[in-house]
Amino acid sequence: MKIVVTYKWASNPQDAEVRPDGTVDFSRARGAVSEYDPVAFELARKLVDSVGGEVIGLCAGTASIDTSLARKAALSRGLDRLVLAADQALAGADSTRLAAVLAAVVRAIGDVDLVIAGESSMDLAEGQVALTLAAQLGWLGLAAVAGVTADDGVSVERELATGRQPLSLTGPAVLAAASDAVTPRIPGMKEILAAARKPVRVLALDALDLAAGPVSATVLSTSRPASGNRQQVLIDGADPDAAAADLVTALRKVGVL
Amino acid sequence: MNDPIRTCIVVADDPAVSSLVEIVHGIDEVPLAVVAGRRAVAEAVALTGVREVLWCGEPASGTPIEAYAPAVARLVASTAPQVVVGAATVAGRALLGAVAAVTGSPVLSGVTSIELDSNRVVLGQECYGGISTRMVTVSGGPGVLAVGRGTISAPGSADGAPAQVTPVQASPLTAVRVTEQRAGRHAAVDLRSSRTVVGIGRGLKQEADLSLVRELACSRPLAEGFSWMAKERYLGISDQQIAPDLYFAIGISGQLQHMAGVRNARVIVAVNNDRNASVLDGCDYGIVGDLYRIVPAVVAALKV
Repeated sequence: MKIVVTYKWASNPQDAEVRPDGTVDFSRARGAVSEYDPVAFELARKLVDSVGGEVIGLCAGTASIDTSLARKAALSRGLDRLVLAADQALAGADSTRLAAVLAAVVRAIGDVDLVIAGESSMDLAEGQVALTLAAQLGWLGLAAVAGVTADDGVSVERELATGRQPLSLTGPAVLAAASDAVTPRIPGMKEILAAARKPVRVLALDALDLAAGPVSATVLSTSRPASGNRQQVLIDGADPDAAAADLVTALRKVGVL
Repeated sequence: MNDPIRTCIVVADDPAVSSLVEIVHGIDEVPLAVVAGRRAVAEAVALTGVREVLWCGEPASGTPIEAYAPAVARLVASTAPQVVVGAATVAGRALLGAVAAVTGSPVLSGVTSIELDSNRVVLGQECYGGISTRMVTVSGGPGVLAVGRGTISAPGSADGAPAQVTPVQASPLTAVRVTEQRAGRHAAVDLRSSRTVVGIGRGLKQEADLSLVRELACSRPLAEGFSWMAKERYLGISDQQIAPDLYFAIGISGQLQHMAGVRNARVIVAVNNDRNASVLDGCDYGIVGDLYRIVPAVVAALKV
C-alpha cells in the first residue's frame, strides 16, 4: 500500500503573545509536529508493516517546515520518505488553500491508496483540512477514525457519538484519525539517526499545477478581549481530606452544590 | 436598504440546527436548507424557519453521510449562496469541506456574529481559543462558516407552516460500505443540558481509572443535576461550548481550545498535580495534588 501521512508543523498558541491591538505574535513560539499528528504516523506505519508498501510524509507550509530539525521530527516517526511543499507564499494560507496544495502533491506522488491525517492541529483545532483535502481529490473523507486494517481490502472503524461504525473501503480515501486511536511510539535514538538517511523531496508552489484561489478573507480589525475573571483560589492537596472539605465548603457557599 | 443576502445551511443528518439558523438571522431570516440524511431530519429542519429544504433523499443503505459531500457541494453551489453555514461536527465539516473545495472559500471557525455593513457581510470571529478577536469580510466568493452544533427545535416552535421539503437527485460516492448497521440510532449526549460536567484529561493514566471519576460524576448531589463526563479533547474541538453551573477539570492541563469550550461554566474546579498547569489560571478553585487521592476524598466529602 502507498500511504501518505499529512502533518502540520505548528506552534502552541499558549506560547504566542497577544499584543494589545489583538494581533497574535508567534515569533517566539517554537514549531513542532502538531500534537495529534503522531497518531496518524503510527496508524500508517502499522498498516504498511502488516501488508507491505511505503509511508510517505507530506507537509505544506513556509520554509519553517524544511529545517533539519523539522525534517528529522517527521522522518523519525515511521516514514520511509518525505515530501514537502515549502513556500513562503503559504504564510497564513487558509485550510482550503492548504488542502488544494496537498491535493496537488498527492496527485503528483501518484497511485496513493490512502491519506491519513491527525484529528486537528494544535493551533487552530478545527479538524478541517483533511476533509477539504478529500473533496479536492474527489475522494471520500472520513474523520473520527479509531482504527484501520488491510486484510481483504481496507477496513475502517470509526468512533462516532452514536457508537462504533465499521466500514469497508474499495477506493482511495482520506482518513482523519481520532486522537486516541492508537498510542504512538516515541522515536528513539535509532529512529532519529535513521531519519538523516531518508529521502526528502521539496517542491515549490510553481512546480505544482495550481491556480490561485479567487476567494479570500480580509481582516478589517482585531482586538484583544478582556481576560477571564476566575477566582484562582489554590488549595494545597497534600492532605486530600482537608482539601476536599475546603472545596466542598466553598462550593456550597457559592451555591453550586 | 440592504439587498437580501442569500444564505444556505447545510445539514449532515443532524436536526440540531438552531445555531445555524440563528447566526444568519440578522442577514437572512429565511435561509435555504440543503439536507443530506433521513427524511425525519429533513422534516425537522423544515420546521425551523428556513424557506425551503432541498433534500438529497433517503440515504442508500450502508452509506455514510460523508459519501454525499460532493453531491451536497454541487447542489449548494448551484444556488449561488453568499453565506453557507454548517455544523462544526465530524460529518458537518465533511460537507463544508466539499463546499469549500467547489467554491474556493476558506471554512471559517469561531464566528460569533454576522452583520451587514453597506451590503458587505462582516463576520465577528474569535481566534486561538478566544485570546484574540477580529472582524473579517470575505470577497471573491461565498463565506463558508463552521458553527457549533445547536439544539433541536421543538416541533411547532417556528411561526407559520413548515417549509416545503423538495427531494433532489443526489448520488453518493460508492467506494465505501458501512458493514454493520447499529441497532437504532440514539441522540448524541447533550452536554449542554447538564448542570455539572466532569472533564477528564491525560492525567488519568488508563481507561480503568475512569471508574474513579465516574464515582464523582454519579455522586449526589452532582448526579441530581444530571452530570456527565467528557474527555478533554472533546470539549474544545468543533466549537463545542458548554455552560454548566459546575465544571470539574480532572487531570486536564488547560489547553487553550479546551478552556474556550468551558469558559462559560459558572464555577470551574481543577485537580492537577502540576502547580504550573495553565488550567490553574483558568479555574475558580484549583487543588494541586494527586488526583487518585483527591477525587475519592471529594466524593467522600460530598457525602457529608
